[in-house]
Amino acid sequence: MTAAHALPVALLLPGQGSQHRRMAAGLYGHEPVFTEAMDEFFAAAGAEGGPMRDDWLAELPVTDMDHVTRSQPLLFAVDHALGRLVLSRGVRPAALLGHSIGELAGAALAGVFDPRDAAGLVLDRIRRLAAAPPGGMLAVAASTQEVAPYLSGDVVVGAVNAPRQTVLAGPDAPLDAIGRALREAGFVCRRVPSLSAFHSPVLEPACRGAAERFAAVRRGRPAVPVHSAYTAAPLTESDIDDPRFWARQPVAPVLFWPALEGLLATGDHLLVEVGPGQGLSQLARRHPAVRRGSSAVVSLLPARPGPPEADRAAWEAALERIAAAGHPVGGGSDGRGRPQWSAATG
Amino acid sequence: MSAFTTEDLFQIMRECAGEEESVELSAAAADQEFSLLGYDSLALMEAISRVERRFGIELPEDTIGEALTPAAFVGAVNAELAVRTPAVEAAG
Repeated sequence: MTAAHALPVALLLPGQGSQHRRMAAGLYGHEPVFTEAMDEFFAAAGAEGGPMRDDWLAELPVTDMDHVTRSQPLLFAVDHALGRLVLSRGVRPAALLGHSIGELAGAALAGVFDPRDAAGLVLDRIRRLAAAPPGGMLAVAASTQEVAPYLSGDVVVGAVNAPRQTVLAGPDAPLDAIGRALREAGFVCRRVPSLSAFHSPVLEPACRGAAERFAAVRRGRPAVPVHSAYTAAPLTESDIDDPRFWARQPVAPVLFWPALEGLLATGDHLLVEVGPGQGLSQLARRHPAVRRGSSAVVSLLPARPGPPEADRAAWEAALERIAAAGHPVGGGSDGRGRPQWSAATG
Repeated sequence: MSAFTTEDLFQIMRECAGEEESVELSAAAADQEFSLLGYDSLALMEAISRVERRFGIELPEDTIGEALTPAAFVGAVNAELAVRTPAVEAAG
């Protein structure tokens, strides 16, 4: 059982920008639950599953990891499989919060979507988005108010990551022009690894029709609250029931920081980043609750790409930290059966 | 006495991140990696830019790129200031 004083666990699931070559691949073939969840995803992806898996495991992928047909399905699959792995060790999250595609992974993990249905929805999404006009994303060290005067046309705020980390999204040419203007004004900017203008109107036409796919699958109630980065509040029944809510996610802005504030306003948590890199961990460490030490952050994977041993070392170290925080961690299991949630919420 | 202190850097980092003043970084934070303090490369790039503008210096990319902790960052800034100070005095 969880110790009485232990902070409740909240899983943070990263999205676009966190993908990298061979992300979490060091756990594949070593952690049976993770391996099985990944294989289930590739099987559900049908003919596209094989090339996707080959590129995931390749030192030099045939298709760029930053391309929508690789970043999106693999982020979804890795986030979801890592979440399954964490649950299989007996960790009982009290809440989930995903960034971008991470929200769909969180919803699948919490039982809103059947994992096979979710795989089909992700594939439908990437087929649509692969046909969308090219574009990109630009992280700016500035608040939304500071960037507002520079926005125009199809370039919009795509993500609010932190009080002074705003991500712009839009077609390449106007995005580059706005980036130059921001730099001339003294703002620091950096391109986010993405070949699509996620969370901007550029993707709107491509997402038309996606709602019908969401409407066609069964949607359940989440086992635990899933804090949505699109509403900065826990998913409601009407959010879940509305196919357009899900279909519009690639177009709508990601309000990660407001959603994190909402999550931590419900109480302190042990925030566990369940996905590649440590991008969300770094953002969360700026939150006053983490600064003062009442909430804490654990990342399951290394900050930077590395050898397979580094993935395993990071995972083992993270398990020790989770256990030290009062959540007894069990050994590996065969991973069969549905994820287990706490009796109070399941 | 150093020209640029860890507290100066923390103040700049807080401004870069848009953090509340009330939340203090502990003294032990000086030797922790920036990533563990929540400062990613974007925040760090802005901190470098602000320090350069404040002191009118250019921090060598290789030195500052290897500064993974606030203590190392402060050391790199002071090393650069020490090189520049005589020139400033001569000019004054």
